[in-house]
Amino acid sequence: MSVVVTSDLCRRYGSRRGISDVNLTIEQGEIFGFLGPNGAGKSTLIRVLMGLLRAGSGASKIFDKDCWKQGSVIRRDVGYVPGDVRLYPWLTTRRGLAMLSRIHGRDLSCAGMALAEKFRLEPDLLVRKMSRGNRQKVAIVLAMAHSPQLVILDEPTSGLDPLMQDTLMACLREMAAEGRTVMFSSHTLSEVETLCDHIAIVRDGQIVEDSTLTALKAQAPRQILVTLRPEQVAAVIQWPEFVSVKFLPGMNSQQADSSAALIAPSLRERTCLLQLLGTSAAFLKWAAAQDFADITIGAPSLEVLFRRYYEPATEAVEEAVS
Amino acid sequence: MTGLLQKIWMEVRWPVLWLSLGLGVVMGLLTALLPKVLGNIHTMFDKMPIVKPLLIALLGVDPGDQVSAQLSQAFLWVHPTVLTLLWAHEVMYCSRMPAGEIDRGTADFLLCQPVSRWQVYFAETIGWLMSGFCILCVGYAGHLAASMSVQPDMRLSVSHTMMVMANLAAVYLAVGSLAFLISALSDRRGRAIGIVFTALLASFLLNFLAQFLDWAKSISRWLSVMEYYRPAIIIQTGLFPWSDVAVLLCMAAVLWTAAGVVFRMRSVCTV
Repeated sequence: MSVVVTSDLCRRYGSRRGISDVNLTIEQGEIFGFLGPNGAGKSTLIRVLMGLLRAGSGASKIFDKDCWKQGSVIRRDVGYVPGDVRLYPWLTTRRGLAMLSRIHGRDLSCAGMALAEKFRLEPDLLVRKMSRGNRQKVAIVLAMAHSPQLVILDEPTSGLDPLMQDTLMACLREMAAEGRTVMFSSHTLSEVETLCDHIAIVRDGQIVEDSTLTALKAQAPRQILVTLRPEQVAAVIQWPEFVSVKFLPGMNSQQADSSAALIAPSLRERTCLLQLLGTSAAFLKWAAAQDFADITIGAPSLEVLFRRYYEPATEAVEEAVS
Repeated sequence: MTGLLQKIWMEVRWPVLWLSLGLGVVMGLLTALLPKVLGNIHTMFDKMPIVKPLLIALLGVDPGDQVSAQLSQAFLWVHPTVLTLLWAHEVMYCSRMPAGEIDRGTADFLLCQPVSRWQVYFAETIGWLMSGFCILCVGYAGHLAASMSVQPDMRLSVSHTMMVMANLAAVYLAVGSLAFLISALSDRRGRAIGIVFTALLASFLLNFLAQFLDWAKSISRWLSVMEYYRPAIIIQTGLFPWSDVAVLLCMAAVLWTAAGVVFRMRSVCTV
């Protein structure tokens, strides 16, 4: 069942670009990662979904209801943590839960206080006396206290310490395991990579990639370190077309890729650094016939893939978009 | 709705309390002192001729050279301090939402709760009406308490006071509705407050200029809120100002509805 569906969604801020032609589908129980650099349009899309911004054109639906017209009904089952958390200075976690209990018409204090304990929040501390991280935690607790079917988090880990980030990730995984849906926006690749099973990348207001993590990993390049035997000469080896050579012994710093800095100087005499563009099976088949001293194949690097989208428009990006 | 009212209560209880007490004290002092001060007003008219048009502008009627005791009580209800306190409250209150919420970034939290914007607006309106009622009541209580120190023949009758207060309440509704509309159109609270205060000041100024200039007189009829609030006439005639109150209530209804529609239809952008 699709929880969030947008079709040809556009939103502009006067002459400034917001988002254009966004088509997304998020299924129930998914942890959906929404990735993109600052100013790419992540928050704009989220604010349209939450009914804060009115779309210029296109449609956005949550639980098959229109986000603008039926926002108040939708929000009964949605929790939202904004990117820039601002709360009332007089609010405390306990007061916030009491207020939300009245709004939702049911007691949320038990569930909320359990969450507050998990996030190590003082229930009666005023927001105006809290650090940024604690305010972030209050927003997270208030967004999740009513056990929503969909949680939308806009860069929620900013301001959280690593332990609290882990706690948040664990909470979100638990929610997904219970069949609830998480939409997680971030510009930090590693947290999306460890948490999400479906990822969309937004750039300049457009979705340039929308795929599962498994499919993305299949496309993502891997680094390979090949250690040559003393009698082997790197320059004469016929490297297959599905690898790109980043460093070979004898290359100077101008010829080598910047990633060659990863190879310790003592190993540079015999180590080649390659980037695998396909799956490792094909490479292993080819390498088996080469009699190398050693081969190390790294995990798929989504970072390299994502950098292609993050960096200023290049042919590679244009290709990816098309 | 009760959750929203709880939030409003947390935010406005102290300002409302202090403004109520302030208005109560000011009205008490004015009630006790004005008959004494205005009893010798003719000497001031001789020394400072500008005072008379100012008084006419405020009262909406020419008091002549002698201000009667009861007319001096009318001056209480148009005294700039009284009007400033009342308007300051409602301009501050009505600009809180949405302009204030957007300005400080809390609109995201508020409007992402499972409530419609109309519900938020109704809750704000209830808070505005209740706080206005509270402030006017405390002001009246101050006036009533101080009346005890005034000679019985100089006191205003309860029926006259109630009629003046009904007219003042209609002014309160019109000004607050204007503040709601400006707030709904704005993302900055300071700007919204500035615009409404400028409009009120202009209304006051227009009313004053109307004493001297014909063109100001014709504009004043349409644009000055003071044109529809004349306690002196109510006190002199003893008649309820139905037409003035009707105009003010119509103005309030139109502005309040427009503010609600604008707030419902607008995008909220805190970033």
